[in-house]
Amino acid sequence: MKIEADGFYFDFTDAIEVFVFDEKDKKKPTYHGLPMKAVDIVAELADAYVYVEMKDFHDPDLYNQEPAEHDEDVKKKRDNFKWLKNYLKYKYRDSYLCRHAEQKVEKPIHYICLLTLENAQNVIMQKALTRELPVGRASRRWKKEIVASCQVVDVSKWNDNFPSWPVSRIQGAV
Amino acid sequence: MLEKIKFEKFTAFEKLEVKFSSGINIFVGENGTGKTHILKAAYAACDIAKSKGGFAEKINNVFLPSGKQIGRLVKRSSVSSRGAIEVVRRLADDKKIALRLSLSNHTTKPEKATVSGSTKVWLENPMEAAYIPVKDMMANAPGFRSLYEEREIHFEEVYVDIIRKASLPILKGPTDKPRKQLLENLQEAMDGKVTTKNEEFFLRSKHGELEFTLLAEGFRKMGLLWILIQNGTLLNGSVLFWDEPETNLNPKLMRAVIGILLELQRVGVQIFLSTHDYIILKEIDLQATKDDKILFHSLFRNQGTDEIEVASTANYLEISPNAIDDTFGSIVDREIEKSMGGLGK
Repeated sequence: MKIEADGFYFDFTDAIEVFVFDEKDKKKPTYHGLPMKAVDIVAELADAYVYVEMKDFHDPDLYNQEPAEHDEDVKKKRDNFKWLKNYLKYKYRDSYLCRHAEQKVEKPIHYICLLTLENAQNVIMQKALTRELPVGRASRRWKKEIVASCQVVDVSKWNDNFPSWPVSRIQGAV
Repeated sequence: MLEKIKFEKFTAFEKLEVKFSSGINIFVGENGTGKTHILKAAYAACDIAKSKGGFAEKINNVFLPSGKQIGRLVKRSSVSSRGAIEVVRRLADDKKIALRLSLSNHTTKPEKATVSGSTKVWLENPMEAAYIPVKDMMANAPGFRSLYEEREIHFEEVYVDIIRKASLPILKGPTDKPRKQLLENLQEAMDGKVTTKNEEFFLRSKHGELEFTLLAEGFRKMGLLWILIQNGTLLNGSVLFWDEPETNLNPKLMRAVIGILLELQRVGVQIFLSTHDYIILKEIDLQATKDDKILFHSLFRNQGTDEIEVASTANYLEISPNAIDDTFGSIVDREIEKSMGGLGK
């Protein structure tokens, strides 16, 4: 199933359904009209859901939180990284809430963030999101998990790992 | 300063040419792609300009092939073959000169190898160079020089050379302002300054005097850098080779170390680093300004020929292949495999 969103073109070849979460077209059944932050794409597979959030940066270094030349710079980069982490975190949680109300959380949900950072930074982001979303049955009071796994990848890693869901940039998109 | 180096059938290289930056050169690549070999060959060429020794002998002592048979440095082949290294250097008057070593795999002794090029001019124009090897030797300095000189011990000469350089007395005259600043930065990072007594090194801090054997290896390396700056080994026109600076250095200290290397480059020291460390690359990328002369050299094996090639770029994001980031990439792959199984395959 093919879908376009935010300058990317996906083909989820084994999906039952794929839709843009924040559908702008009111006539489409997937339009929700809620004031909630939502991920870009939801794909329903036979045994799982996949939520996809894209962020195509012009300057990936803005989010690098490793030490920089001046303390001010370090703080700025850390703030940017924290902003991005929270942005990705809350997008997932709002989407989950929305889908919970739709009674569409019966299968494990995998969250994939498609970013244009280096692998090293993606590993750091993945660790932070795993802890904070949180991934898995994080509390002993929980009867179920809210997210089965979280991955942070660039386009190349996406295509290496998910050959059944090829992604490409739409020509002309930034 | 060194302009470039060329290898033909030498150690791991079939044919390789690397053009250097006059500032900082950073070599990345998987193990076995020859990063250290480039540093050692270039260092040997620099060192003889000062020590006035033979190039072939220096190469032999620095690489230390089995039985000191220099011919073993020729790239292994089923037939007889010849190997060569050529180093090109630019003198203060902008004149370029070359030094070439050529040898066959049957050459047993350095004196049988052929050294050609502007040998005379090369030796008439001394240059200071220091090679910091992966393993720290500062704590083992007492007696090591005399042991090396009097006995056959199996150590590459870079180890005794660095002790020799570190043992040089302080430079005559007042310390100039940039050097003073660098020394202060290092003192702040390692919380003290280095002193020597009878070939033994100590770090003197507010807690007292600690011998190097009791110091963390990371501090020993910073202490060594302090000594080389203080005794004038690292000055305008000097060349510093540092093999894997990250070894035993806490990543937190890397910010200070890279800051110091960038400053050394700004005062005219040409620098060669080999690394497997993301923090080093990223620190250089973050701290370098547009006037700094940085060149990243990625060494890799051509998948078709299996020979080593190099791709050089001044832009951090364009390092390709980037063995360090690829390692993080493999962590991404394994994480996906572990937590998503066959989904999307």
